Amino acid sequence: MAATTSPERSTRSRSWRWTAVTGVSLLVLVTIHMVAHHFVVDEVGGLRTYQHVLDYISTPIIFVIEGVFLVVVTAHAMLGLRSVLLDFGLSEQRRRLLERGLVGLGVVTVIYGFVLIGVLASRA
Amino acid sequence: MSDTRAPSSERDPGVDEIVRSRRGDGPVSRKLPGPVAWFDLRSRSTGHLAFSLNRITGLGLVGYLYLHLAVLSTLLGGEDSWNGFLELATTPLFLGLDLLLVFGLLVHGLNGTRLSLIGSGYVPNHQKASFWALMAFGAIVLVYTALHIFGGES
Repeated sequence: MAATTSPERSTRSRSWRWTAVTGVSLLVLVTIHMVAHHFVVDEVGGLRTYQHVLDYISTPIIFVIEGVFLVVVTAHAMLGLRSVLLDFGLSEQRRRLLERGLVGLGVVTVIYGFVLIGVLASRA
Repeated sequence: MSDTRAPSSERDPGVDEIVRSRRGDGPVSRKLPGPVAWFDLRSRSTGHLAFSLNRITGLGLVGYLYLHLAVLSTLLGGEDSWNGFLELATTPLFLGLDLLLVFGLLVHGLNGTRLSLIGSGYVPNHQKASFWALMAFGAIVLVYTALHIFGGES
């Protein structure tokens, strides 16, 4: 079976592979995140008190897991958004602009997320 | 690579042409151009339904990512700010929205896994069977989650 080897096809395949890899990683990370927040605590809705949240996020292993989760979920979200927006049939120039915009949004999201959990962890 | 198309009886008339132009490893291709087609389920295959659900839940989850960051930002305002949010978050309406979130996660996660495995050629393409089997599993998890969320309410 002959596969198309155009640059666009190659970019789409690479993007799809990263989406799949981050997606599979998220299965594990989301499960940890949801169980830790909502199933191992007794209160309705999961982690409840302010101090409870601070204690949770300041635990080193949890901080690392949540940090990795933040990076992977943001990457997956930006790749997914790119895929959806390309459905609009953008020109090559607009596609490049879109990709730069999504990289920028992803970087800002990750930085903000790390600042947030870093500040909270320092308050514990 | 195995043929990843749905049975001919389930396919859109233009699918063959699209599939021919997109052969090889990679994503399971969309069948019609433009997001408008996601919502058009008339005479569509299970594969199209799965594709549309994946896109719609994906967009919802991206929105939730930023909503979640905004909500967690209330923690920066201190204990009073967080407690104010908690009062709102534990109302039945918000607990229901939690369940909607879990629904989105299950549909997107399970269906995404299925698409990854089919697209990479690790499993044969049985769109209907794999989709409905995973959705049945997801429904069981959703019911368990609902019982956990609302069962603990007091």
